[in-house]
Amino acid sequence: MLPERTSPRDEDSPQAVLRGLSSIWLDFESQVHHIPIVRRVIERRIRLADYHELLLNHRAQVMNGALWIARAASNIGHEFAELRSRFIRHAATEHRDYLMLEEDYLKSGGDPAGLARHELNIGSEALSAWIFHRADQPNPFDLLGAMYIIEGLGKRVAAQWAEHVQSALRLEAQAVSFYLYHAKADEDHLGELEEALRCGILNLPRMAPRILKTARVTARLYRLQLEEIGSY
Amino acid sequence: MDRSVYITSTGAFLPGKPVPNEEMEQYIGELNDRRSRLGRFVLRQNGIKTRHYALTPDGVHLHSSADMAARAIRDALSRSEIAAERLSFLAAATTQGDLLVPGFASAVHGELGLRPMEIASFQSVCASSMMAFKSVYLQLKAGEHDCGVACAAEFSSRFFRPGFYAGREQEGEDSSALMETEFLRWTLSDGAGAWLLETRPNEGRRSLRVEWIDLCSYADRFDPCMYAGTSRNRAGERKPWSHYDSPALAAQQGAVVLKQDFDLLYRMFPVWAKHYLELVDRRRLRPGAIDHFLAHYSSHSLRGEMVKLLAKTGAMVPEARWFTNLYSQGNTGAASILLMLHQLIEERDLQPGQQVLGFIPESGRCVIAFMLLTVV
Repeated sequence: MLPERTSPRDEDSPQAVLRGLSSIWLDFESQVHHIPIVRRVIERRIRLADYHELLLNHRAQVMNGALWIARAASNIGHEFAELRSRFIRHAATEHRDYLMLEEDYLKSGGDPAGLARHELNIGSEALSAWIFHRADQPNPFDLLGAMYIIEGLGKRVAAQWAEHVQSALRLEAQAVSFYLYHAKADEDHLGELEEALRCGILNLPRMAPRILKTARVTARLYRLQLEEIGSY
Repeated sequence: MDRSVYITSTGAFLPGKPVPNEEMEQYIGELNDRRSRLGRFVLRQNGIKTRHYALTPDGVHLHSSADMAARAIRDALSRSEIAAERLSFLAAATTQGDLLVPGFASAVHGELGLRPMEIASFQSVCASSMMAFKSVYLQLKAGEHDCGVACAAEFSSRFFRPGFYAGREQEGEDSSALMETEFLRWTLSDGAGAWLLETRPNEGRRSLRVEWIDLCSYADRFDPCMYAGTSRNRAGERKPWSHYDSPALAAQQGAVVLKQDFDLLYRMFPVWAKHYLELVDRRRLRPGAIDHFLAHYSSHSLRGEMVKLLAKTGAMVPEARWFTNLYSQGNTGAASILLMLHQLIEERDLQPGQQVLGFIPESGRCVIAFMLLTVV
């Protein structure tokens, strides 16, 4: 039996949404550790071929990332022009990041012919199709939840991956530059999200629970994408 | 029918006098210089100033765990408004009891010498006392009993004596391997606590109504982190002490010593934070309205990043309201939270309506427990 509510709870407050997103993210982070390829990275049992698969997989994802953010921006109404600018800037910053992954791939000895392949793995197919579908909705601010999950991985986990991959495969730092860059590009992740949530979007009907649901689906499909590395 | 359950009395037993840092090694014994240096480092980290040991400086055992638990229960009974004979349920918790068999509650009941009663034994690590507490709470709530006691006792120091490290003198291990055992050696100490629960509050003194007890295991995603009874071989496999050819061989190969895996420990912090953030919504908790936050943990060990996360999500209990017995009584494992509430009641003038939130993370294999109490 739960105690009586002592005050009305504001489920749509930025604090409540941040709390929900943080707990989804923290759960995601701990579950990611159990995905076989991540376990091999962390325990320094990764092989070069695994690293190359990981890079190619990430490349597809990074290429798509800038595209769905741009598409989402085009569906943002004029009343949220400030947030639209932010989405556009975000897409612009990232839309050439995949080149860094290609360099890492080549510097670590990847076969240049491999770069011609752009096929998505089974998990990426699901994540990509679903996220573009969300980006097609009017005012798709629930994607802030998706960005929080995906970027969180870069900001909080990438440095550890870089270090472990580098030491397991005895690579030079230039061959793990993408992961290092994402770990270092340490903007105020939580602060930025909080600011976006304070732009009035939480007054849109059902936006708060939709943000959380989109974060949960993204986390699940992102794990699927990592679980399916190498299966096309 | 709603049967509320109240903590009507608490009791404590801390053996001997408080032992300051500079006298610790007289009690747990000296192993070697490197380990002593690590010990000084650990003490700077954990911030503990004094603790209690159920040993003499020469390593003579002054009590058993069961004896300490029974003393804490007698202390709680002596402060209560009821006759000891009313007690009909005893739940006892510990990390490592005196015997391998039978259960700890049997030993405590035997020491206590009170009439035949229902018992339950709980063996885990720091959260085992919360398992015992919840069992008493539910027994009373379900109408099985009107009065029960939850107790926990730890006698960790006996396992830190040099004899338990036999066969490991020739170690060429690096500091991080040594840290696996030294951290706990310089952190854990002895003592016992007990809470008496009834289905009615005291008439002349304050009681604490139990609002809820929330406990969850995350062993689905963690290997043992704080453990004894196994040791990892070079391939990373763990063999239980009972699978060696003899107990002597298991001990010689370090399977008996208590160890802490720090990589796993650091991975638990986000899981505990996640559980707490969800709990805030699930239990409709208002962290800003908590008057006393009893943490089996120190606010100093929270990293800046975590404090920021908790603050931004409206989940942080202001640091001025954190209460701990860590620095003066040390880390007494399962007994810690029981002793902490006892000390809070002794030191603070609790007022009706005040809320006490307890937080008990267990690194054993990742358990987390919370409890909410209201002063009446």
